Amino acid sequence: MTMPLDTDPQTDDAALLARFARGDAGAARTLTARLVPRVHAQAMRMLGDQAAAEDVAQEAMMRLWRIAPEWRTGEAKVTTWLYRVVANLCTDRLRARSRGPVGLDEAAEPEDPAPSAEAQLQTQARHDALRRALAELPERQRLAVMLRHFEGASNPEIAARLDISTEAVESLTARGKRALAQALKGQVAALGYEG
Amino acid sequence: MTQNRPPEPSDPRWLDDILDDLAQAPVAAPSPQLMARVLADAETMLPAPGGVRPARPWWQQMVQGLGGWGAVGGLVAAAATGFAVGLGGIDPTGTDALWSLGYDTLFEETGGLDAFGWDWDEG
Repeated sequence: MTMPLDTDPQTDDAALLARFARGDAGAARTLTARLVPRVHAQAMRMLGDQAAAEDVAQEAMMRLWRIAPEWRTGEAKVTTWLYRVVANLCTDRLRARSRGPVGLDEAAEPEDPAPSAEAQLQTQARHDALRRALAELPERQRLAVMLRHFEGASNPEIAARLDISTEAVESLTARGKRALAQALKGQVAALGYEG
Repeated sequence: MTQNRPPEPSDPRWLDDILDDLAQAPVAAPSPQLMARVLADAETMLPAPGGVRPARPWWQQMVQGLGGWGAVGGLVAAAATGFAVGLGGIDPTGTDALWSLGYDTLFEETGGLDAFGWDWDEG
């Protein structure tokens, strides 16, 4: 199939969503082209598994189509809403994954085929440990840490996206990172770092 | 009295390294199949021009109105339980009439309670 293209870069997401809610198929194509790569990248980073990331991306976009008629422009940014939905869907999967045994079929695929097998396993283990620890954080701490480190967002940007004060962002990030350090400290050497 | 809070411990360097490492891991682009699936979903959910959603069958609307399939399942289970309890109230073989099945007679005929061979004296 032909990949959909963002043919309307000037129009913001909320306006496109409103057009979708009025039955505009072109708006759906533009939103798909614009949002799916972001949503998929976020899910991929959180899950490290192509198939699961695609399922999460599809489910998140399905929720967006479903909420379109009730969307209230000005209350939240579409990207922020989606970021939260994807983070929660991924967290559910990560928590389910750490509760049950990981079979060969469920194990995340190696991310980068180039490095040696040993280095690849080490990287994989490191990423999986971090993903599991992130999944155990309270939602707002997790979002603050992810926005800071994965999206490179500044404190004021995170504050705007989460609708909280900059001080609250600092506190959430600090507490989140402390909890991550606590969760991972027993594995630091095994993961190839010096504690 | 002013109480000075102890300084926050700084983040260990290795934690930033792990976070940066994951942040910089290459991420593949979404597959054309995913884009097709998302567009197919959008087409299914696309409201009719003017903003009217395509009508759903009456039974789907009813299920939705009751709170989804979970709620309908609960309702059916509750109705079935109520029906069974109701039957028990009027039928001698129901839950209120277990003793009418004759177990009491059998109990009396087999001698009743005893304690290590010594019969209990009743009354």
